[in-house]
Amino acid sequence: MTPELILGLLLLIVGIAAGAYPRTRDYLDRLINVEIAATGLMLVLLSFNETISLLTFVAVTALATAVLIRVIERRSGI
Amino acid sequence: MISGYIIGLIVVFAGVALTFSAFLKERDDVHKLILADLTEIAGLAIIALTATDLAEALIIPGLVVGISELLAVSEIYLTREKLFFQPEKLFTIEVMDSAPGIMGAVLVIFGIILSGFTGGAVAATGMIFYFLCKGHKERFSLVETVSAYAWVLWIAAFFTFMLAPSYWFFGVMMAGGAILAKVVAKMSLIGAMRGESNA
Repeated sequence: MTPELILGLLLLIVGIAAGAYPRTRDYLDRLINVEIAATGLMLVLLSFNETISLLTFVAVTALATAVLIRVIERRSGI
Repeated sequence: MISGYIIGLIVVFAGVALTFSAFLKERDDVHKLILADLTEIAGLAIIALTATDLAEALIIPGLVVGISELLAVSEIYLTREKLFFQPEKLFTIEVMDSAPGIMGAVLVIFGIILSGFTGGAVAATGMIFYFLCKGHKERFSLVETVSAYAWVLWIAAFFTFMLAPSYWFFGVMMAGGAILAKVVAKMSLIGAMRGESNA
């Protein structure tokens, strides 16, 4: 097991736990917790040399954040 | 001996179980939307553990479907809740005043170098960031026209593969460039939808 894989799995499970059961029920807080899990998945992809998937995932996560921010903005006005 | 693959599978399946248990309890729709994103991440991790070229071939379509599903569901949500008004207070941080030009330019150039769907998504991120921060006054019919011509080029590239296989490199380049233009044109509309009252 490479260090990237261990760190990635750790961040993934921590991020999923924090995203699934957040301490404060605020939309933005939960979105940031989900980003922790995304970072974990990026490290897992890095450890297996899946370059194209990694690049696409980074870009698509940024797009998804833009879409979700738009919904949150209209729902609560931040 | 327990390999990294087995440990990874155990961890990821625990994560998937956690996500779905949170899904069952959740009542708020926006929270459900964010949880859908989390579920996608957990699901992709299972595929990523396969660690071969097959994983890459499966993850990229998964990402495409994931982003389009998120877009569609968020639009349905906004329509159902009748949230068409312009929000009084838009989300702003300092980096949105200082960075958009250089960040947008770097991401678009890097995206063009990458080409294909990956490059399209990277370049679209740059354009969305620019539109979100600076506002927009561009003509949407022009963007739609570019997108339609890119689609035609993509189909033409596939005909090149079938009718003249010896020109495969020309076909690859044409398909890569066309899908880049198509993804950028479609995705950059997300950034333009932010301030519109009827978007």
